[in-house]
This record gives sequence, C-alpha cells and structure tokens, in this order.
Amino acid sequence: MIKNKVIVVIPAYNEEKTIVELINKVKPLVDEIIVVDDGSKDQTAHLAEKQKVIVLRHLINRGQGAALQTGNQYALKRGGEIIVHFDADGQFLAEEIKDIVQPLKKGEADVVFGSRFLEKKSEIPWLKKQIIIPLAHLVNKLMIGFSLTDPQSGFRALSRKAVEIIQIENDGMAHCSEILYKVFKNNFKIKEVPITVIYHNFGQRFGGGIKIIKDLFLAKLMD
Amino acid sequence: MLQQILALVIIAFFLIRLFWQKQKKQIRANEFIFWLVFWCLVAILIFSLKWIDKLVADLGFSGKGIEVLLYLGIAVLFYFIFRLRLKLEKIEKNITKIIRKMAIKDKE
Repeated sequence: MIKNKVIVVIPAYNEEKTIVELINKVKPLVDEIIVVDDGSKDQTAHLAEKQKVIVLRHLINRGQGAALQTGNQYALKRGGEIIVHFDADGQFLAEEIKDIVQPLKKGEADVVFGSRFLEKKSEIPWLKKQIIIPLAHLVNKLMIGFSLTDPQSGFRALSRKAVEIIQIENDGMAHCSEILYKVFKNNFKIKEVPITVIYHNFGQRFGGGIKIIKDLFLAKLMD
Repeated sequence: MLQQILALVIIAFFLIRLFWQKQKKQIRANEFIFWLVFWCLVAILIFSLKWIDKLVADLGFSGKGIEVLLYLGIAVLFYFIFRLRLKLEKIEKNITKIIRKMAIKDKE
C-alpha cells in the first residue's frame, strides 16, 4: 500500500482535444488517475483508456458534480488517501497539484481549495472578475453563510475522511457551493492555496450562474 | 343560467369519458377517484355560483365569484407545477445513482 496515495479525479465531457496531453502531464505527479467520462459524444473515453488510466464511463451526461461524486466513490475503493479534483479542459497547471496536496500531507488541513485570487496572477476576464465572481460570493454568503477568496474554483484536494463524509448531490455546477457548504458544516480544516488559471474560454457564463442559483435553491427545498 | 348549463354539459362530457376510461381500464383507481372528485367539485361550485358571489363579497373581495375561482385555480396549478419540479428533481437524482452504479460496476 502506498502511503498518502494521491488520486486525481478528472471529470471529462467532450474533451478529446485536451485529455491526452493533460493525462500525460498529471500522470508522473500522482499515484493514480481516474477519468470520469460523463457521456461524451467524442473520443474522450477511448483516448483516455489508451493512456492506461482508470476510465469510468457515465452512459449519459449527468453533469460535473455527478461525475466528481462517481470519481470520489471509486477513488475511495482504490484506497486513495488524498483525492484531487482537476478540470479536463487544461485550465489548471499540473505542477500545482503538489502545492494543493502539500497541506494535506502535512496534516495542516482536511480540504484544500485552489484560489485564483491569492498571490499568483491569473488573467481573468473582466466581466468574470468584476461581476460574476462577486455575485457568486454574494449568493454563497446568502445561501450558505460564508465564502472563500475564490468561491467557484474547481481545483481542490480532499482527505479521505472528507470525501467519505461529503456526498456531492448537486449533479450540475452548483456542486462548488455545495462542497463549500458541507466542508464548513462538518468543521473540516480548510486551507486556500494560490493557483494559476489559464482561460481558454470563458467557463461559466451568466446563464450558467442563474442555473446554479436555481439548483442551490431546489436543493434547499429538498432537504 | 345558459352559461351554467353549458358548463355542466362540458363537465358531464368529461365525467362520461372518465367512466369510459375506467371501464376500459386505461386509468388506475386512485386517478379515477381524483378526477371524479375534481369534476364533481367543479359542478357543485358552478351550481352555487350565486352563493359564492355573496361569500366573496362578504369577505371583502371586489371581484365576482367566478373570478375568485379562477384565481384559486391558478394558485392550485402553481402548486402542482412546484410538486412536479420536485418530483422531476428526484427522478434526475435517481438516474444519476443508476448511471454511477453502472459506471463503477463496469470496472469490477
């Protein structure tokens, strides 16, 4: 058994252009990679399998939150001690996985969030920086009661204990806020680590943001 | 008066259809009872429109009885939409559970 086994979960939906390069960059830095193909219509799953990593396939598209939860469950089965969430579109830097994992290895935190707003400079589009992310802060504060410097970052690392307790129930993009909420509710030790984000495309647009609010609202009603 | 008779004819039509569907076993018993009660209730309300007019006026509404019935109808519809959405959300969650189980099982 590997001590502090690091497993990276990569949810992927139609990412055939970036997935191979991404896997090859991440592979030397971690113990295992789990790609969750979320019902892609292109060659994503096939290309990932060729790289000799674990590929789980959702038969139909269920959303990023659902894919992450599938990856989490399988990572637990594989004996992962540290589970890293990493986007498939190549907007995060693989080298920074070691930064995000470090506090967990040292026992300084149970959950580590990557933040675009600490130290390192990411080139964030103006609209996103000035309007959408502040709005995301506001929504988090209203619905959860707190926020981090970067409320919607998809780059995070969790301890085994945290993954066992935090079940992601929001299938769509609202899982970012949901994870945050459950981390706070369970009093896990949190650390934020500066990361670099490269914007190939805009990511969540405004309509996406509205959908997140709707999902969070519905989730509250279902509780 | 003519309006009321017309409404009752329409209700009678739906009721006949309902019994017909029941006989052909196209609908389940609980659904049959729901619609039976629903149409009977509508019929009773239409019979007692005058009484409702008075009741509504006594309660301090400016509208006529039939208008108040419409408002109530819309409120009920909204409630049903809300319940439908919650139910849909639950179905979505269950689909995800199935897809997840299949994805993990495939690997074993």
